[in-house]
Amino acid sequence: MLELRGVHTYYGHIHALKGIDAVVPDGEIVALIGGNGAGKTTTLRTISGMLRPKQGSVVMQGKDISGIPAHQILQMGMSHVPEGRRIFPQLTVRENLEIGAHTVTDRKVVEERIQEGFTYFPRLKERENQLGGTMSGGEQQMLAIARALMVNPKLLLLDEPSMGLSPLFVEAIFDIIVELNAKRGTTILLVEQNAQMALSVAKTAYVLQTGEVKLSGNASDIAEDESVRKAYLGED
Amino acid sequence: MDFATLAPFLVGVVISGLVLGFVYAIIALGYTMVYGVLQLINFAHSEVFVTGAVVGFEIFRVLNGVEMNGYLKLLLALIAAMVASGLLNILIERLAYRPLRNAPRLVPLITAIGVSLILQDLIRIIEGFQGRFDLTYQLPTGFSTPFCGPESSCAGVGKFLGGIGISLQIKEVIVVLVALVSLAALNYLVNFTKLGRAIRAVAQDRVTAGLMGIDANGIISLTFLIGGALGGISGVLFGLKFGTVNAYSGFDPGIVAFTAAVLGGIGSIPGAVLGGLVLGVIQNLIGVTNILGGALNIANLGVIDSSYQRIGAFLVLVLILIFKPTGLLGRSNVEKV
Repeated sequence: MLELRGVHTYYGHIHALKGIDAVVPDGEIVALIGGNGAGKTTTLRTISGMLRPKQGSVVMQGKDISGIPAHQILQMGMSHVPEGRRIFPQLTVRENLEIGAHTVTDRKVVEERIQEGFTYFPRLKERENQLGGTMSGGEQQMLAIARALMVNPKLLLLDEPSMGLSPLFVEAIFDIIVELNAKRGTTILLVEQNAQMALSVAKTAYVLQTGEVKLSGNASDIAEDESVRKAYLGED
Repeated sequence: MDFATLAPFLVGVVISGLVLGFVYAIIALGYTMVYGVLQLINFAHSEVFVTGAVVGFEIFRVLNGVEMNGYLKLLLALIAAMVASGLLNILIERLAYRPLRNAPRLVPLITAIGVSLILQDLIRIIEGFQGRFDLTYQLPTGFSTPFCGPESSCAGVGKFLGGIGISLQIKEVIVVLVALVSLAALNYLVNFTKLGRAIRAVAQDRVTAGLMGIDANGIISLTFLIGGALGGISGVLFGLKFGTVNAYSGFDPGIVAFTAAVLGGIGSIPGAVLGGLVLGVIQNLIGVTNILGGALNIANLGVIDSSYQRIGAFLVLVLILIFKPTGLLGRSNVEKV
């Protein structure tokens, strides 16, 4: 589905990604874990076109998509749930979902997908006409995911979906992630600081540190390797 | 002057203030819409507005001898002004602001002032080549007659309005009607269409809007087009109301309309309208206090006269910024997670 080949990305003069190689196979959940400043978010931003790689390439389904702006990459079947959820605070829940379907021209399809989103997240239906900014963090996360699903993506990029959420919400969000993958076959690239949680749902994992892939392999192997957790995930 | 004569007089002043206020409101919308998407104060908007006024003047001038319905002439003038000002505004954004999109905020602000000055002189030169400086609108006959005057079929209405202190000319009624139609159209576009939703999304979070498949640059251009078109409309309305414009006519109404946008809460569309109306009325009230002063024998106080009109607008601005910095209808900055 997706492949990163020697990707280097800069923030101004800061060399944030130093040659990332990674593969996200069709239909899998892949976790990208690592501490603060490891380059997880930068990796997702480079994939979705928010940032342009200085070197290397991002290949989606055999097509080099590096350098294509974000609003066009979306059309290729990729949807990015950004860090911090980035709900439009002054738009209602419904409008946020409609914006998610901006590139979908058929109104009927849009309405179907909104209803589908409501079945995944019934709480959003209760809040349909509430402004996005007035909802709790967990509800906003649900909305962000539902919004990303409006284009029916083949590949979903999730940036820290558990951030700032209560354990109950984290559980609910991860259930949905697994369900999306199992039922719809959506390929998911999951960035998380909550490594335990991410490794429990992913098949493959990449451990990032200061812009480099330090380790990759089977998620369950990495989860069990205590030295990995101590070295890269900041656990004692 | 007792209350019975004073009251209708004041009502009349307020009404004519509202007419002026509608012109300010439409100009203010141009400032506020651009600010909404770019957080940039487009100081060149005053010249975008004058461009509309000049184009309107040219249309009325060319059509002056032509046998044609006056309202059709007006419609042509409005459309031509909208197109010219809208395209000019897009061009300004493309050439002057877009290359500075990531520069510190002060840089595009100063650029905007520069663009404003360049356009002023361009307009002066272009009209100057034809030997003109002050451009006096050649309005279709009938535009300056009283609304529902004694000769007209609705004379009763006019008499009633006159009875409560309102005397309006046809062109003032036109100003208000055109402004109302523009407001309704803008409200529909922004709040009830897919494009409007995209404009609001870009205004709230440009980067995330890109992730939704919205071409933010396209939407920004569209916003400049709409803001410019509104500037064009307000230019023609200004020409209708005041009769004469020149290349430097933009400064005064521009600065008042900008004040109106801040007063209402910059970035807020209803705020710009409210701010425009409030300032229009305040200006008119200050403008007549010297007459009132004479009537009420308080002229010798010498505190207020019409030359203080502009101070009135800015006094309101200062007070608002002290007591409610977000403006009347503005919202405080939404916290980003």
